[in-house]
Amino acid sequence: MKKTLFTLLLAAAWPAAAQDAYVVGVSAAMTGPGAGIYAPVVEAMKAYIEHINARGGVNGKPIRLVVQDDGAEPSKAAANAKKLLTQDKVVMLINTSLSSTYAPMVAESKQAGVPLYFGGSVCPKDTYPPADPLLFCSSAFGANLDSQGALGFVKSQAKEPVRIGFAAMAIPIARAEIDYAENLSKTMGMTPVEKQISPPPAPDYTPFATKLKDANPNWVFSWSPWVSQVRTFEAMRRLGWNGRYLTWAHLNAEDELARIKDGEFYVIGTNAFFQDDLPIHAEIRAVTHRANLKYPVTYLTEGFIAGMVIESTMKNTPWPPTPQKVLAAMNNLKVDMKGLRGGPLEWTKDNHFRTKQYYRVWRWDPARSAVVRVQDWQAIDVKR
Amino acid sequence: MQLAVNIAVLAAIYALISCGYVLIYRVSRVLSLAHGELMMLGAYGLAATASLFSGHPLVAIVASAALALMVGVLVYGVLMWRMTGESVLAAVLATIALGILLRGAMVLFFGTQTRYPLQELGWTNASIAVGDTARISAAGLALVLVTAAVYGGLFLFLRMSRWGIRMRAAGQNPLLAAQRGISLHGVYALAWGLATFTGGMAGMLITCDAGIESTLVTIGLKAFPAALVGGLDSLLGALVGSLVVAGAEVLLIHYVDPLLSDVVPFFVLLAMLVVRPWGLFGTREELDRV
Repeated sequence: MKKTLFTLLLAAAWPAAAQDAYVVGVSAAMTGPGAGIYAPVVEAMKAYIEHINARGGVNGKPIRLVVQDDGAEPSKAAANAKKLLTQDKVVMLINTSLSSTYAPMVAESKQAGVPLYFGGSVCPKDTYPPADPLLFCSSAFGANLDSQGALGFVKSQAKEPVRIGFAAMAIPIARAEIDYAENLSKTMGMTPVEKQISPPPAPDYTPFATKLKDANPNWVFSWSPWVSQVRTFEAMRRLGWNGRYLTWAHLNAEDELARIKDGEFYVIGTNAFFQDDLPIHAEIRAVTHRANLKYPVTYLTEGFIAGMVIESTMKNTPWPPTPQKVLAAMNNLKVDMKGLRGGPLEWTKDNHFRTKQYYRVWRWDPARSAVVRVQDWQAIDVKR
Repeated sequence: MQLAVNIAVLAAIYALISCGYVLIYRVSRVLSLAHGELMMLGAYGLAATASLFSGHPLVAIVASAALALMVGVLVYGVLMWRMTGESVLAAVLATIALGILLRGAMVLFFGTQTRYPLQELGWTNASIAVGDTARISAAGLALVLVTAAVYGGLFLFLRMSRWGIRMRAAGQNPLLAAQRGISLHGVYALAWGLATFTGGMAGMLITCDAGIESTLVTIGLKAFPAALVGGLDSLLGALVGSLVVAGAEVLLIHYVDPLLSDVVPFFVLLAMLVVRPWGLFGTREELDRV
């Protein structure tokens, strides 16, 4: 009863608080653990929206992003969501933070009936079909699908029986994914030999790498924040392990491949690298230059994708915007990714993740002294 | 053999960090909860000097170490000297506030991107064979050697040098030390300087192995149980406590479950607090409960 009353009051308040812009609220880990991954997404998102506004906005109105730092803390995320909903009267909430901040933001979103969009943070399974009516996601990561794509690649490359090891950080979402991957590997005829879960953060990854190396895997798959993925790999190499290591392509993957320069270190991801030099990459470079962003341009694809999603959503939201109109637009959205992904991003009433997830794999080629693509877009249908 | 090497490296990390906690506590009875942030500042200092003195890695390292020492003295001169005579709790709260301030300032000045000081110095983290069956990274070996040098140097400094003896005297009885003409502010400033220097060295060496991440602050706190296990007012205790905690951690990772590595230092600490609250080598009568 209370909830209904609150929702009604909030709905009534929206038209009264008539705004001159599409107001979107973001709670993001701009500081604290994970800021290295989330802050560039938000900066790129802001730059893209400024670029859109400079060209006249959408439907003749500007988009206003209100960004609040949550430091990856659930309590701050809850306070941010409350403030964005009640004071800023946002028509869409965005989460770009650690998974620990999801629950309080989801609660606030549901209470207010305002759609919550995960842009740059790991997609919760609630966005997969059958999707939660209020939750949407465009981030590259896709729980379970990523492991399917990764292990599919391992199988396609293996010329001998696969003895696979797993590494993850001790955070719920990474542990769940690596457990899923371990079980999946068995069904794909691989032999899981060891699984190492390291705490966030570990002062030295060698003790974890030692046990993993001692199990003698010929492949290792890791799906975690970058620090855990790459430090485990580097420690294993220093211990003399010669196998192949496959891991998730975070924002910094293109630069990191060039730093690590190891021919058997593979990354799997869904966003095109800047080495493709697509027209959209030139646009990202130009916008980044104008906004004077301090991050390398290679870190900004995910934020641009989020910006493109916001732009498309608001284009399909007739003026004056309300959360209900935004929700209707999001339930029937198709965004042309312009080559940044393997295909368009499509949301339907039932699927708030995407209808197809496309994966590519890259590695460093010592002979060419360059990052090379090992596998082109492989699509996985996202079904119920 | 590899397990012994792993224990030595982890113990060296904990010992180098916890020595800063001990130095400040031993001399001024203040628990610095900004130690992790000061350690991170040391790491950023190395990244800054590495790009400033590009092509001269040794100059960069010496400059960043000197910078860390100066920052410690500055922290005392600007903030902590005002806490002299105040309650221990007020001083501890001041260090918490300092930590929050430093964290914010570092994000503002250095951003959130991972940086690799070793690469900026133009060096690589080679793998070195230890016997036939074990290996150690160059940064790991440097950590062990620097920790040994720091503890050896501190032992000699506190036993043999005039300022070292003054520091011990001020730690034992500040009133009497002041009456004997020892400048307490000078001694405290030196303690803060040395603590930030050792913490900064730890930050520099850890990031030579792993790069500068925002999580480095938490690693600073992870060494705290080692200092408590050894006894907060004993440098020897910090060394032994670090070995105990690191040993338990590495062995449990290898033989039981890697997930235990996060809780083990605190389990050892709890056990110690129950059995011997003042730590392995701490002084019983010096306990001050906050």
